[in-house]
Amino acid sequence: MNTPTTTKPVTAARAVLGVTGAVLISYGLLGLPTQLGAAHLVGLLTWMALAVLLHDGVVVPLSTLAGAGLTRTGSRLQPASAAILRGALMTGAVVSLITGILLKAQSEARTISALEGDYAANLLWFWAVLVMAAAAAIYAIERAGRAPSEKGDSRQKTRP
Amino acid sequence: MHRPDPQKLTEALAARFASPTRSTRLTVVLGRWLALSFTVCFLTGLFSHGLQNPPSWMFFPTSPVWIYQLSQGLHVSAGIASIPLLLAKLWSVYPELLRWPPVKSLSHGLERASIALFIASSLLQLTTGLINTYKWYPWPFPFRETHYWLAWVIFGSLLLHIAVKLPAIMANWNGRAVRAAELKAELKGTGGSPGPGRTDAPSAAGAQGLGPAPGRWSRRAFLAGVGVTTGAVVLTTAGQSFSWLSPLNFFAPRVMGTGPQSVPVNRTSADAKVADLATSGQWSLAVTYGGTRKTFSLADLRALPQYDQELPIACVEGWSQMARWRGVRIRDLVSAVGAPPRSALRVTSLEPEGPYRLMSMPPEYVEDERTLVALELNGSVLDIEHGYPARIIARGRPGVLQTKWLQTVEVL
Repeated sequence: MNTPTTTKPVTAARAVLGVTGAVLISYGLLGLPTQLGAAHLVGLLTWMALAVLLHDGVVVPLSTLAGAGLTRTGSRLQPASAAILRGALMTGAVVSLITGILLKAQSEARTISALEGDYAANLLWFWAVLVMAAAAAIYAIERAGRAPSEKGDSRQKTRP
Repeated sequence: MHRPDPQKLTEALAARFASPTRSTRLTVVLGRWLALSFTVCFLTGLFSHGLQNPPSWMFFPTSPVWIYQLSQGLHVSAGIASIPLLLAKLWSVYPELLRWPPVKSLSHGLERASIALFIASSLLQLTTGLINTYKWYPWPFPFRETHYWLAWVIFGSLLLHIAVKLPAIMANWNGRAVRAAELKAELKGTGGSPGPGRTDAPSAAGAQGLGPAPGRWSRRAFLAGVGVTTGAVVLTTAGQSFSWLSPLNFFAPRVMGTGPQSVPVNRTSADAKVADLATSGQWSLAVTYGGTRKTFSLADLRALPQYDQELPIACVEGWSQMARWRGVRIRDLVSAVGAPPRSALRVTSLEPEGPYRLMSMPPEYVEDERTLVALELNGSVLDIEHGYPARIIARGRPGVLQTKWLQTVEVL
């Protein structure tokens, strides 16, 4: 029997997508050497390899390490609080990553009306708002979560 | 001597990176968001490329006036949005990288090679695309050409990836169905086969909406975190393209309302080496058509009927700025040499060299009465950085084609 993922239309769609994709990849790969010299292509491949190494060898292991730390910290919190903590740190980390590149570019390529902002100060403000918003949300959730259990405890105490 | 088993080693490593938050359903949802942002980038990028290097069938929309402001603003904003989406998507499938053996068959090897190309190209494209908006070029290859060809590689890889993964995508498309299957598997006990949403990790509770393991986050919470992060990077940068977001513009390289005459500058007069020529009292604009040639001094141009236009200048790097321009209609200059209004032009800048010294203008812009040889900007004479003594301003064109420091206009 055909499952929904092996019906004729699905097989046909996969074939069309696969062939179109392969054609577009070939067009791009064959087009590169028409405008890039050998030294450019070597540079491009080197940068691609470095991008993958940096991502797979540094970014993901570091985020995994941070995640392990957060699991320990977050296990003492309500699930919603733990999620807010992780989400806030994720947002802060990605914004910091982008701003870090921006700050490096500012030191290298600042020109008239470009890269003129005080991005370091903006990043500090961003973190301040993020930390305050996350802390307020976590505080409210923890307080609300504690209230029913405290009530439950007091009821237990009044039982004979 | 005991030789370590690579399979056991990679399995142990994969266990280190295991997370109950990961699931095929998570990857499919992230993949949908990323595919959308990549498609927006690809189509808007092709539009921009077509305007600058028009094929014979290219169309040149001149309405609405903000069309290029919108398309290129979307291009850069979708590219920035793709950064957290790509990082999250790659995180969701990271254990796949550690599977042993790395290649099981020819088709499996080809699939992994195509994914490697997809990932490497995407990481590079987003990184260099972002840094290009900062006008900083630390890499040893030309940006524009590489960005264009890699776009084809990436979009092709996206289609191929969808083709390969279509059964898994379909099985995990509907969130309710996935959660029902996961719940069924959970009720059957841990010995049961995992639901379609699972790729790894035994603790399925977090992925099933039954509540995450202590300290972990659920699939929904993770997706919400990715959504908030994507929103944060877009909202704090898109103000360089869209005025209604400019109060939140904290991390974009450009800020609306800055620069001489409250308009940002891309190529400066120093970069273009035009300061002496442009400020020389001998400057004149030559307009030619066949054997006819007329020259217009700045005083001659000012003596012609002047028109005001409110038009945005929108740059390929994504920033844009609405401004008030005043000057002579280009069609009036074309008529002055006896050429029909619907003519194509070749416009030359005073720049001694550079890729945008020569600019071609299709007839759609020439006949448009809002296309100006601008002499004033925001109520005062053009600043040298904005193209003094005269520059082109037309609707719906990339800023690099709004030629500054005009020298000649040839009717073709």
